Amino acid sequence: MKHIAWQWLAISSVLIAALAASAETRPQYGGTLHVSMLDAPLSLDPADRATPDSFGRRSLTELIFETLVSVDKSGRATPVLADSWQTRGGRRWQFRIRHNVWFHDGSPLTAESVAASLRFANPAWNVTADRDSVIVESDLAEQNLLADLALSRNAIAKRDSDKLSGTGPFHIVDWQPGKELALGAEENCWRGRPFLDGIEIEMGRGFHDQMTALQLGKADLIEVAPEQTRRVSQQGQVLVSSAPMELLALVFGQDGSSPDEKSLREALGWSVERGSMRDVLLQGTGQATGSILPGWMSGYGFVFPTTADLARARSLRDQTHVSANWKLGYDGSDPMNRLLAERISLNARDAGLSLQPTSGGNADLRLMRIPLASTDPWSALQIALAEIGLPPMESKGHSIEDLYAAETAVLATGRVIPLFHLPVSYASVSNLKNWSLRPDGSWNLGDAWLESARP
Amino acid sequence: MTFRRKLLAVFSLTVFLSVAGVALLVLTVTRNAFEKTENERTAALVAQFQREFNRRGEDVARRVESIAASDAVTRMATALSGTPADSAEYFDLARTLAESYQLDFLELLDGHGIIISSAQSPAKFGYPDNAFDSLAGLTEQSAFLKLEDLQDSTALGLFAVRAVRSGDHPVYVIGGRRLDKNFLASLDLPPDMRALLYQNRGEHFSPEWLLDAGSGTSRPAEKLSGLVDAVRRYDQEMTGIVNWSGDQADQEVFHAIPLRGVGKDRPLLAILLIGNSRRQYVELKRRIRDAALLAGGGGIVLAILLSSWAAARVTRPVEQLAYAAQDVAAGNWNSSVEVSGHDEVAQLAESFNRMTTELLAQKERLVQAERVAAWRELARRLAHELKNPLFPLQLTVENLIRARTQSPELFDEIFQESSRTLLAEISNLKGIIGRFSEFSKMPQPQIQRVEVNEVVSRVVQLFQAQLKAPGRSAIACKVELDPSVEPIGADSELLHRAISNLVLNAMDAMPNGGTLTLGTRRDDRKVTITVSDTGTGLTREECARIFTPYYTSKQHGTGLGLAIVQSVVSDHGGRISVQSEPGRGTTFVIELPNNMEALRAALSNAERNATETPDIRRNVAAQSASVDRR
Repeated sequence: MKHIAWQWLAISSVLIAALAASAETRPQYGGTLHVSMLDAPLSLDPADRATPDSFGRRSLTELIFETLVSVDKSGRATPVLADSWQTRGGRRWQFRIRHNVWFHDGSPLTAESVAASLRFANPAWNVTADRDSVIVESDLAEQNLLADLALSRNAIAKRDSDKLSGTGPFHIVDWQPGKELALGAEENCWRGRPFLDGIEIEMGRGFHDQMTALQLGKADLIEVAPEQTRRVSQQGQVLVSSAPMELLALVFGQDGSSPDEKSLREALGWSVERGSMRDVLLQGTGQATGSILPGWMSGYGFVFPTTADLARARSLRDQTHVSANWKLGYDGSDPMNRLLAERISLNARDAGLSLQPTSGGNADLRLMRIPLASTDPWSALQIALAEIGLPPMESKGHSIEDLYAAETAVLATGRVIPLFHLPVSYASVSNLKNWSLRPDGSWNLGDAWLESARP
Repeated sequence: MTFRRKLLAVFSLTVFLSVAGVALLVLTVTRNAFEKTENERTAALVAQFQREFNRRGEDVARRVESIAASDAVTRMATALSGTPADSAEYFDLARTLAESYQLDFLELLDGHGIIISSAQSPAKFGYPDNAFDSLAGLTEQSAFLKLEDLQDSTALGLFAVRAVRSGDHPVYVIGGRRLDKNFLASLDLPPDMRALLYQNRGEHFSPEWLLDAGSGTSRPAEKLSGLVDAVRRYDQEMTGIVNWSGDQADQEVFHAIPLRGVGKDRPLLAILLIGNSRRQYVELKRRIRDAALLAGGGGIVLAILLSSWAAARVTRPVEQLAYAAQDVAAGNWNSSVEVSGHDEVAQLAESFNRMTTELLAQKERLVQAERVAAWRELARRLAHELKNPLFPLQLTVENLIRARTQSPELFDEIFQESSRTLLAEISNLKGIIGRFSEFSKMPQPQIQRVEVNEVVSRVVQLFQAQLKAPGRSAIACKVELDPSVEPIGADSELLHRAISNLVLNAMDAMPNGGTLTLGTRRDDRKVTITVSDTGTGLTREECARIFTPYYTSKQHGTGLGLAIVQSVVSDHGGRISVQSEPGRGTTFVIELPNNMEALRAALSNAERNATETPDIRRNVAAQSASVDRR
C-alpha cells in the first residue's frame, strides 16, 4: 500500500511538472528582439553580388525574403513560395506560385513578379511567367536548379526603385547600411504573423562585444566565435550551432606552376597540425578536414588525411630545388585568423618552409573562410570553387563517385588546402524561445517568441 | 708714439690684462665647479635611473608572483597535475592574465618547458621554450633581462620566473614587460634627461636597434655608435659626450650601461644610454662669459677713458717741457714752462726753467767772451798785419832822415828809392785794409740757376796758368766732374769765389808741387764739391779751427779765406768739412743743396719786383723758363 502511494505521488508530481512546463512554453506575442552580428552588409538586396555571402547576410535575407523552394539537411527540396513544380528532363522546370501571398508593400505575389526577380538575380537564365506558374528553361539539364533556387541570393524580391519588398515574416522599418536594421512583424505574412513585434539588428560588432552585450542584457541573440563555443556552453548560456558549414582553408592565388611548387604546397599541407589547432585554438570546435565538402555532406570526407606528417613534409621539401618563401594573408578583423596563420607558419617552419603571416593585401596564399552555400553537395562545391577562384566542375551525373572525382581533381591543382569545417554558433538569452537554425546556418526567427518575465 | 699714447696704451693694457685675467679665472673656477656639479648630477641621475630600473624589475617580479599565486594558475596547475591532463582550455589564460596584470609577456610552461599558454605568441602552444633550461633555476631570483622571440621579430624585456607546484607537476610562470619606447617614456626621469636603449644585435651599430622615447627630434643616431661600440668592446659602463650639432648647447652627456642577460656567459643584450643635456650648463656658462665680457669690456672702456684723462693730466706738463726743450734746441733759450703743483714733474719744470735761465746767462757770458776773444784776435791780427808794413815804413822814414843829415848828396836817390818803398808798403796796408773791408761786407747770395760743373771748370781754367807758373814747383790738376750733377740754385760768383779760395789754399799747401784734384758728385738732393791737395796737411787742432775768422796756419795769411768760404757755403744752406792728415794732404768737401725751392722763391720775389722794373721782369721770365725746363 505504501509502495502504491509513493507511485501515485510520483506520477502526480510528473503531471504537475509537465503542466507547468506546458504553461511556460506557450508562445507569446510581442517584444522586440535585439540581435548583434559581426557582418555589416551594405545592401539587403539578396541578388546584390557585390556583398559577399555570409551566414549573417543569409539570416537577414531570410527574415525579409523567401525563396521558391528550400533544401532540408538531407538535401531534399521542400516548397515555399512555389507550392509545386514539375520538370521535363531537367531542361524545363515549371513552378506553380503559391496563392494569397503578399509582398510587404501590399501587392500580391504573382508569376510575373517572381520571374522578374529571378531574371534580375540570374540574367543568364531563361525565366518566363505563364499565368500562375514560372517556367525556367535551359539547353542543358539543370540537375541543381532546385538547390540553386533555395539559395538566399535567389530569394524573391520586389524592387521598386530603391525600395525592396519581400514576402518574409518581417518587413524593413529602418535600414542604416552596415550599421543597424530595424524590422517589423509582417501582419499579412502568408505563414501567419510572427510572434515578435520587431527585430533590431546591430551590425559590425566583434565577437567579444557581442558577448559583452549579451551578458549585459543589451542583446538577445549573438554570434559566437568557434573558439568560444565551449566556454559559452560551460557558462550555461543557450548555444545553438549549425552543422559544420564553413570551410577554413589555405587558398593559393595561382596554380602550382611547377612540380617543385606543387611539392612544396603538398609539404605545407602535411605540415599543418590540424588536430592541435582544433583542440587548442578552436577549443575543440569544428572538424579537421582534408576535403572541401564536409563529411556529413559528401559522405567521403574521412578519405582525405588530416593528421600532420612532418617527416613527409620535410621529405617533400628536401626533394624540391626551390625554396618556399610565401606570404600568408589573413583577415585581421578576427583575432583567431591571426592565431591560425601564426600557428600554420610555425608548423611550416618546422618543415623547412618559410611562411610569413600578413594581414596586408599582397599575399601568395590566404587563409579563407568560405561559407558553404547549400546543403546540396554539388551546389555547395560549385559555389565554393567560385569563391576560391576556380572554374566550375562539370559532371555528367550527380553520383557520389562523380563528386569525389571532382573534388579530388580540385585538390590536385594545389590551389586549396582544406583545414577545418566549422559550425556557425549563436548564443541567446534564455527567454528567447522556439528559434532554430536553418540547414544553411541562417536564423529561423519566424516562430520565435520572447518569454516575458514573471510579474 | 707720443708719451701720452704710450701711457694710455700701458694703462689700457694693464686694465685689459687684469680684467681678462679675472674673467678667465672666474670662468675657469666656474667651469670646474659646474663640471663637478654636472658630474655629480649625472651620477645621481644614473643612480636614480638604476633605482627606477630595479624598481621596475621588482614590480615585474611582484606581478609574476601574483599571477603564480592567482586562483586561475593554481586551478590550472591542479588540473594539469591530474591524468590525463588537457591543457587546451588554458590556451588563452596567459593573455587574459597578462592583460589583468599589465604584463607584455607571459608564458605558462609545464614541468618540461612546454608552452601551455603564451600571451605574446599564442600560436606557440605545445612548443618547447628554448630558454627553459636557463630559466628554470631562476624561480627565486629578481627580474632579469631576456630576449624574447616573437613571430617575426625579437623583443627585449624585463622578466621574472616563478613556479607553481601542485603535486609533482610544476607549472612555470614567466612574465615580463617589454623594454621599448613606452617603457623608456614611463620612466620618471628629471627634465633634460632621457633614456635610450640600444638592443645589441648584429656585429655593427645600426640605428634600427636604437629605441628612443624622445619627442621625435631627428638626431643622427650614428653619433652614438662610438660609445656603443666602446661599451661592446670593453664590456663596461662608459661615459661620453655627443655633439649633435656645432652648437655646444646641443651637447649631451651619455652614460652607457651594459645590460646583460641570464645564463653562464651572461650575454650583452642591450646598452642603456642615459642622456643628460648640457644645454643648461652651456647656457649658464655662456651667460657667465657674456657677463664677464660685458663687465670686462665696460671696465676696459672706462679704464681707457680714465687712463686718457689721467695720462693727459700727467703728460701735459711733460709735453710742455718737451715743447720748451724743442724751443731751446731751436735756439729760443728764453723758453720756460708753467710750474703747477709740487710733484716730481713740477720739480722737473722748475729745474728746466732754472736750466734755461742759466743757459741764457751762460750764453750771454759766452757771447761776451767770444766777442772779446774775437776783438782780441782781430786786434792781434790787425796789429800783426799792420806791424809788418809799419816797420819798413819806420825804417824808410828813419833812413830818409838819416840820409838828409848824413848824406845829402844821396838824399834824392835815397828819397826816390824810399818813396817807392813807402808807396809799396802803403799799398800793402791798403790791401790789408781792403781784405778786412771785403770780409765785413760779404754780400747776400743772388740765387740763380747754376751749373756747378761749369763753375768748377771756370775756376780750373782761371788757375791753369798759375799752377804751371815758372818759378814754382808744378802742380798737377785733376778734374773729376760728375756729368749727372744737375743745376742748383746758387750765386755763381760767390760759389766761384769760394772754390777759388779753396784752390788758392791748396796751392799754398803745396809749395813743393803736388796734385790738385777738383771733383763734383751728385748725391740725394744735394751736390758735393771736393777740392783735394797732396800738400802738408793739417793737424786735428788746425782742422777744428781752420774756419775761424782770422785764423791761419800760414805766415802771411789773413785767416779770412776759409772763413769767407764757410760764409758762402752757409749762405747757400750747405756745409763744408775738412778731412786731412799731416803729410798726406787735405780735402775740403762742400755739400750744397739743390736749392730749387729757394730759387723759385727768389724768382717769385723777383717777379713781384719786376712790375716796377721791366728789365728785371725779362730776366725773371728767362730764369723761370729755365727752371721750368728742368
